[in-house]
Amino acid sequence: MTHPQDLSLRHQASHLATGELDPRELLAATLARIDERDGALNSIAASFADESARMLAQAPPGPLYGVPVAIKDMFQLPWRGPRDGSAEEHLPAGESALYRRLRDAGAVIVAVTNMHLYGAGTTGEVSAYGPVANPWDPERCGGGSSGGSAAAVGARLVGGAVGTDGGGSVRLPAAYCGITGLKPTFAATPVEGYTHAYTTMGVAGPMCRDAADTRLLAETLIDRPLPKGDGSRLRAGVVSSPFWDDLDPDVERSCRATLEASGWPVEDVTLPGAEHALIASVLRLTMESLPAIRLDQLQELDPLTRALIKYELVIPARSLMRADRVRTLLRRSAEAAFDSVDLLVWPTVPAPAPRIDNPTIELPSGLLPADVGNVRQAGFGNLCGLPGISTPVGQHPSGVPIGLQLHARWGGEALLLDAAEQIERATGRRHVDAVPVIAR
Amino acid sequence: MDWLERQLRGGLEEAGVELDEVDLAIIRIVNALYGPALRALDKADLSDVWPETVLDPSRPPTAR
Repeated sequence: MTHPQDLSLRHQASHLATGELDPRELLAATLARIDERDGALNSIAASFADESARMLAQAPPGPLYGVPVAIKDMFQLPWRGPRDGSAEEHLPAGESALYRRLRDAGAVIVAVTNMHLYGAGTTGEVSAYGPVANPWDPERCGGGSSGGSAAAVGARLVGGAVGTDGGGSVRLPAAYCGITGLKPTFAATPVEGYTHAYTTMGVAGPMCRDAADTRLLAETLIDRPLPKGDGSRLRAGVVSSPFWDDLDPDVERSCRATLEASGWPVEDVTLPGAEHALIASVLRLTMESLPAIRLDQLQELDPLTRALIKYELVIPARSLMRADRVRTLLRRSAEAAFDSVDLLVWPTVPAPAPRIDNPTIELPSGLLPADVGNVRQAGFGNLCGLPGISTPVGQHPSGVPIGLQLHARWGGEALLLDAAEQIERATGRRHVDAVPVIAR
Repeated sequence: MDWLERQLRGGLEEAGVELDEVDLAIIRIVNALYGPALRALDKADLSDVWPETVLDPSRPPTAR
């Protein structure tokens, strides 16, 4: 028999429901796989066999009965306070709303995943638990800030994990690790017991191997059905500038080829204000998180994070207010665009996962910190509050995956999953079913 | 001391935060990356765009 974690999330759930799989054996096998396989990845910040066994013993019947899942280190659990990638708890132990949703669906939380410190980066190499590696190449970044969740799913440690996305933090690591990551509409998932509950940008979302698994986990996290529809008859909008500008040529080629293969009619769309989306995202994200940072602990941080915080402390308030005007402009632009298209489509990341020891990317314009290029591609969805998804569409010559990003109108999660399934069909599922190096 | 260093030292002193040479060197790199975008934002014509008074990112904007 294959290892049960080589089954998809939905097949684990259905095999458990029919009795083909024993939930205690599945839990034991999952914990053993984490022990055996995570050493090179560092995707897991903590696992807790006793608490997981207790959760399983008390699990009610539900759509995820007995299914092991992992959760980013930003949510209260009854036995562990979240740490945000740092060494100390940011909230005490307790019951976050997402914990309750998973518990009530019958899921078993087997691990807390590693993440970029404070959620403040897209590469995942800065964390009190050490860098998160990529399952396709452990010398490359697993991404961030939900890099541990992405790498754990990609490496088949678990079939599904929870991430959060304030500036691309579900979609970007999903693209790096070759999995599917859904950023729901803002506020679609509850923030009680979430370390960044103050945000106007972030939301929790599911990260799984493909769209069908993502749909199953999303229904629990969002707490509403996401019925399957026809993804073949959608209209795609392409925003050439800035989201298709200055891309790694292989990333651009894969994304364009996938869009062509999708069969969707494609329309050029202009989004007024999009040229300012990067800086507006950076300003909004940094200003929202600054009040939560203790200035008396600055000297304990790594030099880069410390310097960034000091820079942010002196940014003029005028710039933030102008960023909020850009945000309104972008939200209006998006709403107008959805009059004529169902999807806005562009590459999730401009270049593939960089090396952990040098998290920069090479673009036609030159070398750039990966964060800058990544937030340029992702921040629009957070500013607008739109749902977005990253789905794997190729493999870069460097050996790591390529992701395509789709946005839909507010509340359009089901449509995005339909669209991702259409892409999977159009590409013969070869990218969602590809097995990373670490799992062979 | 250039304008960036003056702005940093003045602003951080007010907040009781020290600035060392490593900080300054990193911030110069960060400012080279984001400074042009910040200046473009400051110059953009946003006179007819007012921020939403009750922002709810879970829904479309209240007016086009």
